[in-house]
Amino acid sequence: MMRAIRTILLLAGKDLRIEARSRQTLALVIVLGLLIVVVLGLGLAAGQKTSPTAATAILWVAYLFGGVLCFEKTMGVERQDAALGALLLAPVDRGLIYVAKLVTNLVLMLGLAAVVTPAAVVLFDFDLSANPAGFFTVTLMGMVGFAAIGTLFSAVVSSTRLQGGLLAMVVFPLCLPLVVSSTQIMIRLFGEARPLTAHDVGLLGAFDAVYLVSSWLTFEKILEP
Amino acid sequence: MLDWICGKTYWTVALAALAGAVAMLMAYTPVEATMGPIQKVFYVHLPSAINAFFACLLVCVASVGYLAQRKTAWDDLATAGAKVAVVLCTVVLLSGMVWGRYAWGKWWTWSPRLTFSLLLWLLYAVYLIIRSSIESPRQRATVAAVYGIVAFLDVPLVWLSVRLMPDIHPTSVTLAPPMKLTLGVWFLPVTLIVIGSVGWLYRSGRRRTQRRRMLQSQGEAG
Repeated sequence: MMRAIRTILLLAGKDLRIEARSRQTLALVIVLGLLIVVVLGLGLAAGQKTSPTAATAILWVAYLFGGVLCFEKTMGVERQDAALGALLLAPVDRGLIYVAKLVTNLVLMLGLAAVVTPAAVVLFDFDLSANPAGFFTVTLMGMVGFAAIGTLFSAVVSSTRLQGGLLAMVVFPLCLPLVVSSTQIMIRLFGEARPLTAHDVGLLGAFDAVYLVSSWLTFEKILEP
Repeated sequence: MLDWICGKTYWTVALAALAGAVAMLMAYTPVEATMGPIQKVFYVHLPSAINAFFACLLVCVASVGYLAQRKTAWDDLATAGAKVAVVLCTVVLLSGMVWGRYAWGKWWTWSPRLTFSLLLWLLYAVYLIIRSSIESPRQRATVAAVYGIVAFLDVPLVWLSVRLMPDIHPTSVTLAPPMKLTLGVWFLPVTLIVIGSVGWLYRSGRRRTQRRRMLQSQGEAG
């Protein structure tokens, strides 16, 4: 168990070190996220107060598109100079490679959320103080499920040399139930001022569990240099 | 078995069953008091919805079969299932919209069941788009198989998620005994047509795969 955790940290650390040195993915993803927030904000009549429903929906759109870019970049790194072939030759369980990529993607998506969320709060006068813990719990659980599916399909799609639109097209429909649930729960938290219930957390947890287990089981079958 | 499903006898029986079901719907089934004649779309709607579920299940089973054995027959079967699933979801979606137009005065409402049908349609329409976007047959089959499995696991999640939305859809429909009988009868032609379509699409998919392989081997030899 400790060895598995050490391997995951080693692999994720390698990806994050590459990112820290190049600063390509996070900068790109943050700018894209901010652009989406601004464009959608302007589209929803600038100067008028945006409803919590619209604000959470805009945030989710930013997370989704930024996330897809993260998935493409983190798997794209492995495709350069046949690095994936070398990684697959290492005596490491392929499930651990999946978990490490998932951790990397989650860290990058949290980085995106750390910048885009405060920006949306300021731009849309979105009052998070009603239930900040609920907001962060729902967002984090939503991101785990989204990253689970995105990491799996980034590995599949990157091997087809058909990137860009295809990954978004594959990941978005599969993650729709998660997005629908997250936004509906957010509407209840901020639109109707209801607290976050155990049922809400259980539902999102069930989604995450299904996405994580199915992705982890199939990742081994599809990873090819 | 496959030849029989794709044969004239099978399709004659299926179309005769459909003609019988239509005749029964017109002549025997009473008109529902509240909805009027439009309620009759329900007899197509429900059998199509249940068959759509089985078509999605077929895609999942065939996808697992492909990943386990890497045989193209599984991939062809999954493709046939997905094509039928998309057509059935379209029927469910359109008949649901017609129902909604007369029941609530709008073609579309974000009711959980209509949204569920739309998301299901999107899931399997994307499956077919993915297939047409990837050139390499082996990569196409692998990507589609993984997607087919995850998409089927997604079906109950879609159902759970849309239940969070406000609902105006009837949770149960009360049917008089002749209506129940008509509904039961309608399952037969719809199921026969679905099985026949899957068989026919599977066979044409197999022929395409074999032709491609033949051309490939001829090219390598030449």
